[in-house]
Amino acid sequence: MLLIKTRRDTLLAPLQAVSGIVERRHTLPILSNVLLEKKGDVLTFLATDIEIQITTSSTGAMGDGDGAITVGARKLQEILRSLPESAEVSLMLDDRRLQVKAGRSRFSLQTLPADDFPCMALSDAEITKFTVTQKQFRHLLTQTSYSMAAQDVRYYLNGLLLLVDDGTLRAVATDGHRLAYSSMPLDDVPEALRQEGAARKELIVPRKTVIELSRLLADNDEPLTIEMLPSQARFQFGQINLVSKLIDGRFPDYERVIPSSLRNVVSVNRALLLQSMVRAAILTNEKFRGVRLILSEGSLKIMAANAEQEEAQEEIEVDYSGEALDVGFNVAYLLDVLNNTPDETIEWGFNDANSSALLTIPGNDRFKYVVMPMRI
Amino acid sequence: MDAFYASVDLLRYPELRGQPLVIGGSNAQQPVVLVDGSRCFSRLRDYVGRGVITTATYEARALGVASAMGIMKVARLAPEAILLPVDFAAYRHYSRLFKAAVARIVPAIEDRGIDEIYLDLSALAEDSRSLAQRIKEAVRQATGLSCSIAVAANKLLAKIGSDLDKPDGLTLLAADDLAQRIWPLPVRKINGIGPKASARLAELGIHAIRQLAHADTALLQRHFGRGYGVWLSEAAHGIDDRPLLTSAEPKSISRETTFERDLHVRDDRETLSGVLIALCRHVAEDLRRKSYRGRTIGVKLRFADFQTVTRDLTLAAATADAHDILRAARECLRRVPLERKLRLLGVRVSTLATRADEDDPSEPRQGELDLTKR
Repeated sequence: MLLIKTRRDTLLAPLQAVSGIVERRHTLPILSNVLLEKKGDVLTFLATDIEIQITTSSTGAMGDGDGAITVGARKLQEILRSLPESAEVSLMLDDRRLQVKAGRSRFSLQTLPADDFPCMALSDAEITKFTVTQKQFRHLLTQTSYSMAAQDVRYYLNGLLLLVDDGTLRAVATDGHRLAYSSMPLDDVPEALRQEGAARKELIVPRKTVIELSRLLADNDEPLTIEMLPSQARFQFGQINLVSKLIDGRFPDYERVIPSSLRNVVSVNRALLLQSMVRAAILTNEKFRGVRLILSEGSLKIMAANAEQEEAQEEIEVDYSGEALDVGFNVAYLLDVLNNTPDETIEWGFNDANSSALLTIPGNDRFKYVVMPMRI
Repeated sequence: MDAFYASVDLLRYPELRGQPLVIGGSNAQQPVVLVDGSRCFSRLRDYVGRGVITTATYEARALGVASAMGIMKVARLAPEAILLPVDFAAYRHYSRLFKAAVARIVPAIEDRGIDEIYLDLSALAEDSRSLAQRIKEAVRQATGLSCSIAVAANKLLAKIGSDLDKPDGLTLLAADDLAQRIWPLPVRKINGIGPKASARLAELGIHAIRQLAHADTALLQRHFGRGYGVWLSEAAHGIDDRPLLTSAEPKSISRETTFERDLHVRDDRETLSGVLIALCRHVAEDLRRKSYRGRTIGVKLRFADFQTVTRDLTLAAATADAHDILRAARECLRRVPLERKLRLLGVRVSTLATRADEDDPSEPRQGELDLTKR
């Protein structure tokens, strides 16, 4: 049975969109497969790792009957990618094998029945639903996702907190050493959430989902619809429909972590600071990655030394006349925020060398980054 | 040590001496003290479950009982035998006693578990037989238990030899005893040839160690792989040059349990959760007792179809805390699809460090945010 006959890219693009989440090693062999389902002239692609499920589709399917089959996602993707860009590809289902034909190339792939594919049960519980642009949400993720923990025993940190209240969407991530917060106004707030005293809606999106979304979202003004459900979050954008399970846990009280009063604040040109930091980082200790920041009137020095006693020193002129400070940080935590913030100037606020520093953008209270010092 | 667990229990219940006795039950088999002060013991015929026996007395072994057999199976062989629960605390206590007694005579000891040690006698001038007699006497005085000793050129032969004259045996194996005393034995007597290898050797017509010694090494390599093939041939010739490992640092510390019946994550959630908590607590106690902390926490699952999977997680800092271990173990379990029933659950802590290795004040230390839950 002919499933589809079309240009290579019409198949490759949707396949790449869904197959990013396919795990290489899994106890269930069928999870390394992608589900192909033909209905009329629509061919749907679906992949899952049980936690996340991504669906997308392409039109232009040909042939009479409808049908569905699962086939190894990586192999199919590699075959398609290796074919010439202009190739016309046909997928045929033939006696439990998927035949891929293009020009004089022939591939016969083994399949597993579509009925055995573990599709996620879609929750139909009460929904909070709102729409933002892909660009806006992508920016929110860029500004926060680098602070997520990875494989932390505090499992609720291995993800991103999304919180809707008061007409605002907030994202928070922390690994226990630093915390990133970003927020954006919602034009399209559900009526139920507008009301005074309405319960705020929050959920923790798993790390893998966040990374996948960052990869798939476009930098444009096309809409992204987000649905928050008791045990799922759904993201719809373009042809893609992503359903993710949530981390079942309570996120820490991030507001407590953000210092409210700061005795000293210094403004620094972000690009200058980033470049100095990148250079100093070369000679930090590989294991601990510590840099020393020495702030005095009019000057910020950045110093690093590694295990081989090699040393780096950088100095930036700053407009500062507050208390002197000598403090250590993990340079990676500073590079992360400097790399993922587009603004020209960054403000660094602190109380002393033992308490957390707050990095913000002047005139913008929508972004906050808190980082704990390192005792060097 | 001879029938170690059973012998320790006999110290406590001397009235059972001379009766077939099997260790391997759970608390249900705990003896009941009757009003007249006498004790009522469980009999094998009443046992229902899927436990495995750990030890049998020589009286029970005479009925065909061997360690690691299923209790239900053993019950058919010896329905009247007494069944006692395992009491690891007691066995550990006697284990420490006998090892300490031996250590006063021979300093070079390799600890091979709760009831077995290898000793290096080469540095001692005393004649082997009288030395061995002295060790046996010291063990008896310290514990009231008997042991079997073999004196041989290496660990492989000593292990086989210690089995030749049990219980309370003393075997001296000289180099020219090999053909006469070792070769007639079945291949299973070699430590390292298990049931699977011996079954495959039997298929090749090799039953006795003599036949193995005469087998072509190339043939053995073809059937058992290069390394194991050579080892089989050398072992049959009594060749073993492994040194004595006097201070074996553990690589990991673990606990596992096989369930009375297969459990399902959904239907038996509470039971499983309780088992997991208990395993983590026991591992944490083991770690603390041995003064270790570990960074890598792993779980082991065996499904009803015997497929076994493991998952692990490495923490930022080493721990010996039951809560930390439990949190990490739960995190590992989240990475296993749990549609099938489970027959075994285990928890392991590895990447071990002793307490002295940690907390170096000269090393940089990253500050922690004060994360509290709302």
